[in-house]
Amino acid sequence: MNSSQHVFERRLHPVGMLLAALSTVRDFSGAAALAGVVALIDGEFGMRTLLLVLVGLALLGALSMVWGFLSWRATTYRVSGGAFHFKRGVLQKSERSLPLDHVQSVNTVQGIVQRLFGVLEVRIEAAGGGGEPEISLPALSRPEVEALREELQSARLTYEGADETSVESSPTMIRRLSVRDLFLAGLTSGQIGVAAAVVFGAWRTLDDLLRGDLAGRISEALLPRTFFAALLLAFAVALFAWVLAILGTVLAHADFTLSRSVDGKYLYVKRGLLNRYETTIPVARIQAIKVVEGALRQPLGYAALQVESAGFADERGVSTALFPLLPRKEVEDVLRGAAPRFAAPLEHLKPLPARARRRYCVRAALSALPISVLLSVLLFPWGLLALLFALPAALYGSLLYRAAGHGLDGDRLVLRFRRLARTTIVAPRGRLQSRGFSVSPFQRRQRLATLKVEVASGSGGAAFRLADVEAASATDMVERLGPEIVA
Amino acid sequence: MKAEPEKWLDPRAKLLWRLVGALQAAPVLIGGAFGSYALFGWADATPYLAVLPLVAALALAVLFVFVLPPLVWRRWRYEIRPLEVDVQRGLLRVTRTLVPMTRVQHVDTRRGPLQRHLGLSTVVFYTAAGPNEIPQLAQDTASEVRDRIAELTRGADEL
Repeated sequence: MNSSQHVFERRLHPVGMLLAALSTVRDFSGAAALAGVVALIDGEFGMRTLLLVLVGLALLGALSMVWGFLSWRATTYRVSGGAFHFKRGVLQKSERSLPLDHVQSVNTVQGIVQRLFGVLEVRIEAAGGGGEPEISLPALSRPEVEALREELQSARLTYEGADETSVESSPTMIRRLSVRDLFLAGLTSGQIGVAAAVVFGAWRTLDDLLRGDLAGRISEALLPRTFFAALLLAFAVALFAWVLAILGTVLAHADFTLSRSVDGKYLYVKRGLLNRYETTIPVARIQAIKVVEGALRQPLGYAALQVESAGFADERGVSTALFPLLPRKEVEDVLRGAAPRFAAPLEHLKPLPARARRRYCVRAALSALPISVLLSVLLFPWGLLALLFALPAALYGSLLYRAAGHGLDGDRLVLRFRRLARTTIVAPRGRLQSRGFSVSPFQRRQRLATLKVEVASGSGGAAFRLADVEAASATDMVERLGPEIVA
Repeated sequence: MKAEPEKWLDPRAKLLWRLVGALQAAPVLIGGAFGSYALFGWADATPYLAVLPLVAALALAVLFVFVLPPLVWRRWRYEIRPLEVDVQRGLLRVTRTLVPMTRVQHVDTRRGPLQRHLGLSTVVFYTAAGPNEIPQLAQDTASEVRDRIAELTRGADEL
């Protein structure tokens, strides 16, 4: 065992002071801004207020700088004795030790300020059930990051007894997102709904803030042409939301590259326009691959790739983007390059039996029933029209049926179903935590069953179900995905 | 694949579920009685109408205490095979779950106060995707099942 050569404590890059100061300013500026806005609206914005605000700002800035320096001085880290030690805190000191074999992955993020100064934020993700949050080192220079990464990894490799030779060489790139695909991803992201909600939310806040004056005046001005205005407004909001959605995707996924370490044990994802994110995914921890074809992407033949991976202590590690947009036909190739265990052919899945279609339609129609009944009762005679919702619902059920399918490629299970987006799951037998099926009385009569498999995901599990599979094939799959008889 | 796992839960499970059912039914019964009383005493409803809430509550209680426990018991099966645990349960919708030994991380037995009184115990085995239960085994059987799963898990890991 080689004892580490860096047993001395190391500090962050001096930019860390600035970052700490900025985050302090950010914490307090919310309150300050609110006071400013209130002063503005009350119309008492005289010379004296201005002076007061300026003095306040200067004071805030100075205190923040001092605080930034103190917290920079208090933050140290070192790798020694098989653990990563992290100290911080100006008034309340805290010290954490993370055993190196609990280090799940070392990711980096580069915010705007960090980019300006050429430093990176390092996030060390801890594995295991302890629910430990990740450790964040807000500013390290690139060589420092590499040194730390190497130390963490080489210590881990010694622990796992693997050879260290391969760590040095640079990773091979598997795929990079082109600018065209980036914009296509934004256009088809389906986040319009989310963005629209944000726009409406902002509008409401503005409305509250301005005490209804502005909104009132606008609607008064538009009132004579209400219908047109509403239409125009809706159109404008939708357009704005769409632009926002595109912008969001571009910011998050610009220059998305997926690469693989030479020994094939790690995948690296780099992405982001303003903030650069670098995520490490240990291939051995991937539990299942999800191929998601959004409603707008499927007709164009595009899909997104996600991984379910286990062992992340934080809740958001559940499903990670592996690649945001690629032609469906190339999915298998990319998977073969990135995680060959999961490269199953996605075409020619076995469809559900024809008698399952009626069940899908009926189920979807029934799910629309409560709201139809509610509307029927509330708006009595005309509300009865709501019962017609059953028709489009049944049509949707039919679509769900058409999308569904399953396959067994060697020891890999492939399940396909639709939840708005058509989703295909690939999970090898060795990753299934449990498998089984359930049969309702209605299904029993038609010899159908609901297949269910579980994989580990995050600190818990993810279950995938496929309703109304031929009962015989459900049993067959469950059997063939079972543990092998030891020879 | 076998049509059903072969082992049954302890017959005392039915008694336990009846007791639990009775405890659950008690507030419903009280609610029903109060509803009838309110209808009869305050709203001057006809006796036929007034008695309805109480009857409904009683029917529910009978269902919980007398009808469901034996039905649930008859469905519940389990089997510890060398390579996996096989569990079947469900009242109307029958669910079958198979968990390979290699996926089992650890096994517990646990007992609530009612279970302790009846000499019953629940075996819980955990995979990375969450816990699975075999409830209401006789205490000795539960310990045996727990130890057997633990032993088989260890064996499977060494392979």
